[in-house]
Amino acid sequence: MLDYILRRFVYTLITIFAVATILFIIFRMLPGEPTMQVISPAMDPAVQERMREAFGLNEPVWKQYMIYMKNLATLEWGRSFVSAQEVTDILGHRFWNTILLMAAGMCMTLVLGIGMGIIMAWRRNGPVDLIGTVVGLIFQAAPPFITGLLLLMVLSYRLGMFPTGGMYAPGARPDGVLDLLMTADFWHRLVLPTLTVGMYYISTPMLIMRDSMLEVLGSDYIELARAKGLKSRVIMMRHAARNALLGVVTISGIMIGFAVGGQVVVESLFSWPGMGQLMVESAAQHDYPVAQGTFLMLAILVISLNFLTDVLYSYLDPRIKITAKGLS
Amino acid sequence: MTNDTMNRRAFLQRTGAAGAALAASTAVPAFASAGQPVESMSVLTANASFDPVRPEMGRLITQAAKGIGWDIKLAAEDYNLGIGKVFKEQDFDMFIVRWTGRANRIDPETFIRMQHHKDGAYNKWGYDNARINELSDAQQVAMVAEERQALVHEAQALLHEDAVRSPIVYPSMTNAYREDRLEGVVPMLGEGIGSFWTDINVSVKHGDGYVRTGQTSPLKNLNPVSATDSNEFKELRMIYDRLAQVDPTGKVVPWAATAINIVDDTTVDIVLRDGMKFHDGMPVTIDDVIFSFDYCTKWKAPFFISSLEKFESVSKTGANSLRIKLSAPHAPLMINFFCSFFILPQHIWKDIPEKAGIDDVLNFANENPIGSGPFKFDYWDRGKELKVSANMDHFSPPKCAGIIRVTYGSHDAMAAAIEAGECDRTRYILKPALVQDLNKINGVVGAGYASHGFYDLGYNVRRGPLADKAFRKAMDMIIPRDVIRDVIMSGYAENGGSVIAPANKFWHNSAVKSRPTNVKAARDVLAAAGYSWNDDGKLLYPG
Repeated sequence: MLDYILRRFVYTLITIFAVATILFIIFRMLPGEPTMQVISPAMDPAVQERMREAFGLNEPVWKQYMIYMKNLATLEWGRSFVSAQEVTDILGHRFWNTILLMAAGMCMTLVLGIGMGIIMAWRRNGPVDLIGTVVGLIFQAAPPFITGLLLLMVLSYRLGMFPTGGMYAPGARPDGVLDLLMTADFWHRLVLPTLTVGMYYISTPMLIMRDSMLEVLGSDYIELARAKGLKSRVIMMRHAARNALLGVVTISGIMIGFAVGGQVVVESLFSWPGMGQLMVESAAQHDYPVAQGTFLMLAILVISLNFLTDVLYSYLDPRIKITAKGLS
Repeated sequence: MTNDTMNRRAFLQRTGAAGAALAASTAVPAFASAGQPVESMSVLTANASFDPVRPEMGRLITQAAKGIGWDIKLAAEDYNLGIGKVFKEQDFDMFIVRWTGRANRIDPETFIRMQHHKDGAYNKWGYDNARINELSDAQQVAMVAEERQALVHEAQALLHEDAVRSPIVYPSMTNAYREDRLEGVVPMLGEGIGSFWTDINVSVKHGDGYVRTGQTSPLKNLNPVSATDSNEFKELRMIYDRLAQVDPTGKVVPWAATAINIVDDTTVDIVLRDGMKFHDGMPVTIDDVIFSFDYCTKWKAPFFISSLEKFESVSKTGANSLRIKLSAPHAPLMINFFCSFFILPQHIWKDIPEKAGIDDVLNFANENPIGSGPFKFDYWDRGKELKVSANMDHFSPPKCAGIIRVTYGSHDAMAAAIEAGECDRTRYILKPALVQDLNKINGVVGAGYASHGFYDLGYNVRRGPLADKAFRKAMDMIIPRDVIRDVIMSGYAENGGSVIAPANKFWHNSAVKSRPTNVKAARDVLAAAGYSWNDDGKLLYPG
């Protein structure tokens, strides 16, 4: 097992190295110059050169790459071209904002999605199954900017039940994440973005769970459980649902990873200062250090979640063992 | 001599006259295509996500060009990409841009010299007119305002006659605020109610006394040495004092300096106000001012270095006064420098960047800015909000408890926050249609305020028919300005004419009028210049 984990760890490092290299190349291939963002093109060419020097952009690309990789290895991710703040500080700040939003959204998605999937499979072809499938597909087809905007228009603008956005009331900055979590205002503000995220993603675990459950419910051991006279609830939850969860677990790791970086629209709509917004801002501003850091952090998150998914597999399905050669 | 020959000659003369000094190569493509259809070109604009107004203007203009038989296409691209094409590569045909009404642009230097002198930093159109070069050089060194005004007026008339570009509309600063919360907002030329004068004069009728100010673009930087963006200047000027300020009408008024005296064309005397203190309690001295000049010169502060390089020497002349000797007269210095430059506390900045562990001050984040301005820094929650509180020890203390600058994800989100009472006012432009909607809500004022900025259709005069003054004039005459003003701008604009807007009263030449939209007259101008149309109605080059 340890051998397997070590092997995976090495693979992970290689993948991260490859992603970091690709990111470096991609951002330098973008049309336009980073200095255009932070200094007016009308300024003296000598001043523009001065800015390039300050950012290290006057160095040859290969040298920039070497510095970048060295900094990456030493966790010195540099400073933003735009704000001059340390990239790690910026990422740390924005990351938790997104994590709070996504944790709520994913909790809603997974708890409701899995629950609904179980019920829909158990009551296959009934009205719950039909309505659940149709509603799930509608939610998935509706982009978050539509559902979010509708929620805002009805529940916030018209009925005034929720604030229009932000993580806290202007001027009421809490002292740290714990303090933030203790305020009722934060939870109040979290409702609409959570609903928007939840509605968009819910169909994925719900329909996968439903399909997995249907497959499992046709298995011999379920028949045997029924023959033993076990209660329906016990069969559904203990025997069917646990085995059917595997598919959801697989997709959840990837879904959560992408969800962390993919909430540009929700974050813009609800003025939520998270990673998605940062990603767009930094890429548009050619703020290489921040843009590279943001994408790299997301890549690391997805790779790590994949690894965790593999480990979880062995826990959820005792038939699967981790061997030196991998999963078997 | 045939008519064709005459037409060709007339065209040659006209393109030559469009500026005696238009580079000869710019006229060549027109002759090379004599009698041929005028080639299709494109109008470059920022895309709708950056500014919803520009692509709409572009669409109307491309549509209108069909009226003269010319096929042009709209190229709505990422703003930065477009800026790069225009300013770095000069790879564009026509370009729609908004010149915002920043305070430093009240001075005619930007709109006359920088944009039209052959060596002007913003002159990416390839325009080169000997008389304009002379006028723009002369206005730069004319230290007597009235003399300078006459030169600027002449330049405006000549630029309009040359139709070197088409100011489309002068947009108002469309802002909104909660009148049931705020009292004493002070609109300023080019800045509307987002102005510094509102910051220090506004009071809050109830609540905690803080003015919640919304903006859609996040604050990027709080380093007064490296800042170049007007968004940063709007926040930094609350924290750091400047020697002078531009007042709400656009005039220069003393601020931290009680007097800025122009002794002669190259000598400026400055007297610093007594009793000023930085937010950490240390006194503001004339040595701090001299240090700030030296420091920004040493580190080549991007926004200020071009002005500082004109300083021959700075000497202390008294306990609270100094004298600047300039290497040459420079009229724009007053607004462009004295009204922009921040006074830095020497006791803090003398150790920067070394103390911060970096090698360049441009990489200094200045996480806890200490200035002497009317507001003290509280916190900056990146991407979310900046909070500053009133400095009651200031010589002009604010009437509110402080300002909270909140970043909203979009114009719609900001408008909704104003409607819901979560935001008190906008700092910058709000979409005109939203302003109209907000104005219908009780307790909210949505309005347009005078600005000297403008939306502009710029022509690359190196290319094809755009080298021809008559052609550019015809283009100027087909722009549907009334529709753009009334529909796209929801009425919050005036039709464009001169490159200096009427709102900039002292510098604007009122004899320069907007050309009325008249497609028939435009066709007549083209016909008189030798252009013709084929059977399909396509415009043909003279010849």
